[in-house]
Amino acid sequence: MKEKHTFMDVIWRVLLFLWTLTILFPLAWVFYESLKSNPEFFQDIWALPTELQWKNYTKAWNQYGFGQSLLNTLYYVGGSLVLGMFFTTLNSYALTRMEFKGRKVIWGLIMLSLFLPGVNALVPQYVVMRELELTNSLTGLILLSSLGESVFYLMLLGGFMSSLPKELEESATMDGATLFQRFWRVVVPLSTPGIVTVAVFKFLGFYNNFLGPFIYLSDPKKYPIAVQMYSANKQMEYTADWVTLFAGVTISMIPCIIIYILFQKLLMEGATMGAVKG
Amino acid sequence: MADTTVVKTQHTWLQRLGLDKKNTQKWIFLFVAIVPPFGGYLLFTLFPNILSLYYAFLDWDGFTEPKFVGFDNFVTAFNDKYVWRALGHNVIFMLVIPTFVVLISLLLGYLISNKNYRENKLLKVLFFFPNVLSTVVIALLWAFIYDGSYGLLNGIIELFGFDMKNFYWLGEERTAILAVIPPWVWGGVALYVIIFANAMLAIPKSLYEAAILEGADHMTRLFKITMPLIMPIVKVAVLFLVVGTLKSFENILILTNGGPYGSTDVIGLYMFNLAFGEEYRNYGYASAIGMILFVILVTAKVLTDKFLPKKDVEF
Repeated sequence: MKEKHTFMDVIWRVLLFLWTLTILFPLAWVFYESLKSNPEFFQDIWALPTELQWKNYTKAWNQYGFGQSLLNTLYYVGGSLVLGMFFTTLNSYALTRMEFKGRKVIWGLIMLSLFLPGVNALVPQYVVMRELELTNSLTGLILLSSLGESVFYLMLLGGFMSSLPKELEESATMDGATLFQRFWRVVVPLSTPGIVTVAVFKFLGFYNNFLGPFIYLSDPKKYPIAVQMYSANKQMEYTADWVTLFAGVTISMIPCIIIYILFQKLLMEGATMGAVKG
Repeated sequence: MADTTVVKTQHTWLQRLGLDKKNTQKWIFLFVAIVPPFGGYLLFTLFPNILSLYYAFLDWDGFTEPKFVGFDNFVTAFNDKYVWRALGHNVIFMLVIPTFVVLISLLLGYLISNKNYRENKLLKVLFFFPNVLSTVVIALLWAFIYDGSYGLLNGIIELFGFDMKNFYWLGEERTAILAVIPPWVWGGVALYVIIFANAMLAIPKSLYEAAILEGADHMTRLFKITMPLIMPIVKVAVLFLVVGTLKSFENILILTNGGPYGSTDVIGLYMFNLAFGEEYRNYGYASAIGMILFVILVTAKVLTDKFLPKKDVEF
């Protein structure tokens, strides 16, 4: 179905190009401004840097305590990811491929979460966390982030698992495999694509999580990178040290960019599935 | 001999309870697989949702003894002009943002899925990219764009010869409400353009070929084949966007925190600041507003579902 390119096509391509610019230009701009000195930046916001100021990055790293917040992020994201993946995988299997009493009730209660907006529960959730002495603690935040049910993940991973043929497990049972062996040796290896998808979504969700750490952590020493950048911007209002903030923002985007380069196809498929079936 | 009978009876006793070896394993597995995540869901999601209904009837700052005040919080909310102002902003966002997101996403999605431009594959990857950025980064990027002295927007306008005189887009009441819309639309399009493009790509080519054979032009194909077939997905998108614009406040919290002078305040943010803000705290009142928001959201969901065209087309 090849069509000749007409005048309208020129307009369409310009439109597509303009939208691309709204995405690429701010990012590119932040990056090249991060290599200028402050006076250079104040003088002309368009000019390219005359001399690359890589020291802005060292400064951002030290001034915004990136070392500490990177450790916090690693602990929070890593902990939530490991614990969360462990339970989400087991949970998806149990809820989609096992028969037991009460399964329907559990599913019903989980589906209820689709109707709960969540905002109204922020205050009582905080009180619950406070009563359990889990506030102002990264470990508390890990528990909050990794223990729970998500229809989206259940659908992604459970949907994947329920599409595996039943015969695989049956023949494994015939060979004398126990439930644990079947799960670990048959189901998990075959579900790897689904598991990876969920892990990537979870990683981005935890890494980019702002509201959770913002509400629950009162000690700035415990801030992960997302909240750290927020307070860095607040500080900047007094210091007017723009180029260092640009460098900080650039650093904070690196993990997301790497994940995107590695998994963009998977992310797009997952997001599309979420909308189509949701 | 006596030993074996004991073992035997024990065995049947265990079996009667369904606790032979195979079953024990099943129950251990189920316990580990269900109890922590489902327990966490009950404790951190369902229970707080129920509690929020109770809190709505309290006068409580979160620390001192709570006092039961009946419907007082709701009466206060009804007479609170800040609640109405915030809700007004929500209504503006609810009408404007889904409209722009859906229209832009449909147009761009159509172009990258139905036109055979060389760059389309690359564009799809670029368009989706903002999805992986955090709300903080997106808000900061746009704060840089809107800055009065060194912002990109003023820079661009000044390239055309107008002097913006350090106009702070986010610092003026008149413009701040307008200025928070583009970042929101920009972030929304990043997701829905790909969803719509993929939905359009999933439409069988044979339908278009048949239509071309019958002499249908571009516009007829777009409005008789493409649009009706992706309507169910557009509908879901509108539903998500309407609910999202009513309840989200993170982006505004970071960009303006509702300011200047409350000109960008939304109901979720108003509630958040009542509970966690720097000034006085009122968990009871915040919860009452949370309940009002809850009712609004459920109503919006039901209404959106009802009034959008219900034609589901199979192919």
